[in-house]
Amino acid sequence: MTNPPIIALEKVSKSYGTSPVLRDCSLTVARGEVVVICGPSGSGKSTLIKCINALEPYQSGSIRFDGVEVGAKSTNLPKLRTRIGMVFQHFELYPHMSALDNIMLAQVHALGRSRSDAKTRAEALLARVGLADKADAFPLNLSGGQQQRVAIARALALDPEVMLFDEPTSALDPEMISDVLDVMVALATGGMTMLVVTHEMGFARRVADRIVFMDHGEIVEDTPKAAFFTAPKTKRAQEFLGKILAH
Amino acid sequence: MPEVVLKNLPFLLAGLRVTAEIAALSIVGGTVLGLAIGTLRYLRVPLLAPALDLYVAFIRGTPLLMVLFICYFALPALLGYKTSAYSAAAFGFIAFIAAYLAEDIRAGLRSVKPGLMQAALATGLTRAQALRLVIVPIALRNVIPTLFSQYVRLLKFTSVASVIGVNEFTGSAMLVNGREFAPITIIGFIALTYLAICFLLSAAGRVLYARLAVRT
Repeated sequence: MTNPPIIALEKVSKSYGTSPVLRDCSLTVARGEVVVICGPSGSGKSTLIKCINALEPYQSGSIRFDGVEVGAKSTNLPKLRTRIGMVFQHFELYPHMSALDNIMLAQVHALGRSRSDAKTRAEALLARVGLADKADAFPLNLSGGQQQRVAIARALALDPEVMLFDEPTSALDPEMISDVLDVMVALATGGMTMLVVTHEMGFARRVADRIVFMDHGEIVEDTPKAAFFTAPKTKRAQEFLGKILAH
Repeated sequence: MPEVVLKNLPFLLAGLRVTAEIAALSIVGGTVLGLAIGTLRYLRVPLLAPALDLYVAFIRGTPLLMVLFICYFALPALLGYKTSAYSAAAFGFIAFIAAYLAEDIRAGLRSVKPGLMQAALATGLTRAQALRLVIVPIALRNVIPTLFSQYVRLLKFTSVASVIGVNEFTGSAMLVNGREFAPITIIGFIALTYLAICFLLSAAGRVLYARLAVRT
């Protein structure tokens, strides 16, 4: 293997008290790969990706980002997190700031960019997600799809090496989903390394390299896209696929 | 305006000015202190948070007049310093209202949805930066009505300072009454004045909230 994976999870386990949430999960993501994680609710998919940038702690196993152990006490988490962009199901835009300020905040305070550089970059990213005219709009005046696109721009503003998506379209009205997915497809075809928790199998079919299926905290399948859709290896994955492709 | 009020207006207005000063000092000082206490308790900072829990419980279980007596008589005697009634009153009011504001601010911090802290941390902000730039500004905006109702309470409570000899508005009016014997007129006048300034303070709070409130 010439290129070491940028993300490497090895036997990661996590419990909330006595309830196990993740059981011995192992997963690698290579640079430039797009991995889709799917599975029923409660399977631990969101928890898994939140462990990667240490938003959630884990009790055992190891998670390495570009060789750095995420769970180690010596790791500079803020600095590490500037290399990982994250997009949340409920957008989580700062409601007291305009779209532009949302995108500028971390650039200035986490990366130390000048306000004018941050502003230029923010405007460029807003244009890239199709919202150039919404720079001064506040989140409460934006639709869900627009908020999520601003959230994607906010994550991209730090020039991350990897983008994590936690069910980015699950809270959107159907007519807005494609706007957001289009932005994500463009990112993927542009070569961004992405880990996407989603039920949108159409998106997966278009740009995913691999599909990971989780159930009850375990990684049940981890297969290249084509193989997953034509012949999932496990019965649980087959049943799941059958249910979500039915409508 | 009744003659007895007109005759003593300069003296009464001087008292009103003292009321306004003490209220302003206590509102600003109390809010800053309350913010610090509320945030430290919200974060459950070891050692400090339990100590502040005791402080808040003590103040909230103690009448204002007692707090003023402690600041004017007990503390100077115990710790060996001299203080004027005015300074003791200001100090007491700040200590008093900070305990209440701290609770309101802490509730405000807890009402900010946790996803926002996660989002801020995910962009590489430290916990301190996330609090300063995102969580606290949102919390404060949302508790403006609660804070202002505390401020209005405080404005009315400044009258208690007259008991330890501060010549604020009520104290001045009572002195005038002692000389003029026109209680109904004088009390009527001071009551109406308090009503007016409390109304103005509440209105200011409503305007501020209308402009700054955020929905999360």
